[in-house]
Amino acid sequence: MRLRVGAATDVGQVRKLNEDAYTVIPRQGVFVVCDGMGGAAAGEVASQMTIETIQKHLTSNDRAPAPVANPSGYLARTERLAEAVRESNRAIYELAQEDRKKAGMGTTFVGVWVEENIASVAHVGDSRAYLWHSDQIEPITEDHSLVEAQVKAGVIRRDQVEESKVRSVLLRALGQEPEVQVDVSEVPLQPGDYLLLCSDGLTRVVPDSGLARAIAALREPQRICDYLIHTANSRGGPDNITVVVVQVAKSFWQRLWDRLRG
Amino acid sequence: MAKLILKFEDRVLKEVPVGAQLVKIGRVPDNTVMIDNPAVSSHHARVFRDGDNFVLEDLQSTNGTFVNDNRVTRHTLSNGDVIAVGKHKLVFERGEKEEVAAEAAPSEEAPVLPELGGTVFLDTKAQRELIAKMQAQAAAQGQAAPAAPTAKTPVAGAPPPAPARVGVLTVLSGKADQSEFRLEAATSVIGKSDTALVRLKGWFKPKLAAAIARKGETYTVTPLGGKTLVNKQPLTGRYELKDGDVLEVSGLTLQFNLQ
Repeated sequence: MRLRVGAATDVGQVRKLNEDAYTVIPRQGVFVVCDGMGGAAAGEVASQMTIETIQKHLTSNDRAPAPVANPSGYLARTERLAEAVRESNRAIYELAQEDRKKAGMGTTFVGVWVEENIASVAHVGDSRAYLWHSDQIEPITEDHSLVEAQVKAGVIRRDQVEESKVRSVLLRALGQEPEVQVDVSEVPLQPGDYLLLCSDGLTRVVPDSGLARAIAALREPQRICDYLIHTANSRGGPDNITVVVVQVAKSFWQRLWDRLRG
Repeated sequence: MAKLILKFEDRVLKEVPVGAQLVKIGRVPDNTVMIDNPAVSSHHARVFRDGDNFVLEDLQSTNGTFVNDNRVTRHTLSNGDVIAVGKHKLVFERGEKEEVAAEAAPSEEAPVLPELGGTVFLDTKAQRELIAKMQAQAAAQGQAAPAAPTAKTPVAGAPPPAPARVGVLTVLSGKADQSEFRLEAATSVIGKSDTALVRLKGWFKPKLAAAIARKGETYTVTPLGGKTLVNKQPLTGRYELKDGDVLEVSGLTLQFNLQ
């Protein structure tokens, strides 16, 4: 398995600051998008802190041997990713408590760790991860937002989400409370699949079908990212926009093997 | 109840109640108090409740926010305070204390905490109350939660708290270190990899042959390398396993059952 990666972020057309942050570590298979919140540049601090915490935690060499199965039912690296997210939460929360200027700062988190064809996914907030597979796109995260809760409770319909006045209300974010609940899942990946991570600055103006079309038409991860940023901006760019696209491709040896076997 | 009285050159333009809701002051329309004047920043200041007090905060506005002619960044409001934003004035009037307390219960559609950069976070307690209310509302409307039809995904989610049944692979033929494998994890791998549940041995066996993702009682197999067949049919894409299916993975024949 080989991963090809594209990434882009843009301030959008309305905001003055870009409080989104992302990191891609292709060699390790780690990809993260964060959407910071908090006035006076504090959101930027929160998202950046998270990225740094993740980089520090997941790139350290003390790789514990992966047990076959954890009591939780998830792979050891899924647990490790979730723990890194919880650690970021504590770090932001503590800083926000100490520094009044940063009070209330926070960030969303969506991250994947791909190894041996399985993506460990962790998320908090309304930044999303999607899987594109045989011409179909499907969300692999569920927003921790008030509108999503309203849809689930049957209070509003999914097609009413766009007009909702409370679209920006999050039910979970990093840095808001001493402990945070992190959603995790695992997704097996096949060559030809794509993963797309993004902040809500993209999904507010580009529907899922638009994401699927961009992947199907462009194929090349960086071109997909650039195109989607351009599209979001041309639709008003109401918020910061960040996209990371990971293409799962066959390795050289796999392609050679396939050829040899006809 | 507490309120802000918006004035321009001693003319009262508007009265705005201040309660559980955050009051945003600025030039653009998404503010609670919109002041269309170039001296006012798009998001200039805000007033929110902090326990028993009301706090005014300047949002790094270009021309500043003043209270009784002193520039402030953050100020706890007292009755009669005059807030100046550009040439406009907002007089703060604090109502009776009891009323304020009674109003503290989240009654509005969105109980709002200090808004930060457009996104608001609802703390755990506030959201529990709100979601309970929403559920009651939905039930009352008789359209009890049509549990969001999220597309069936072959994605491993959290194993449910008390799943009734667990998938089991029984070895029908081929070499394996166990005669059956319980698929309890979110993802179970068949292959030569160290992380595999069903370990394949041999030079030409794939490191990863297939992954089985679990979501409650739904098991989806994804072929990853080598040859995988389900009920003698070659498998290329994802496939949801059914009770009794026979899986052939790189020389190993396994039967899937829910137990």
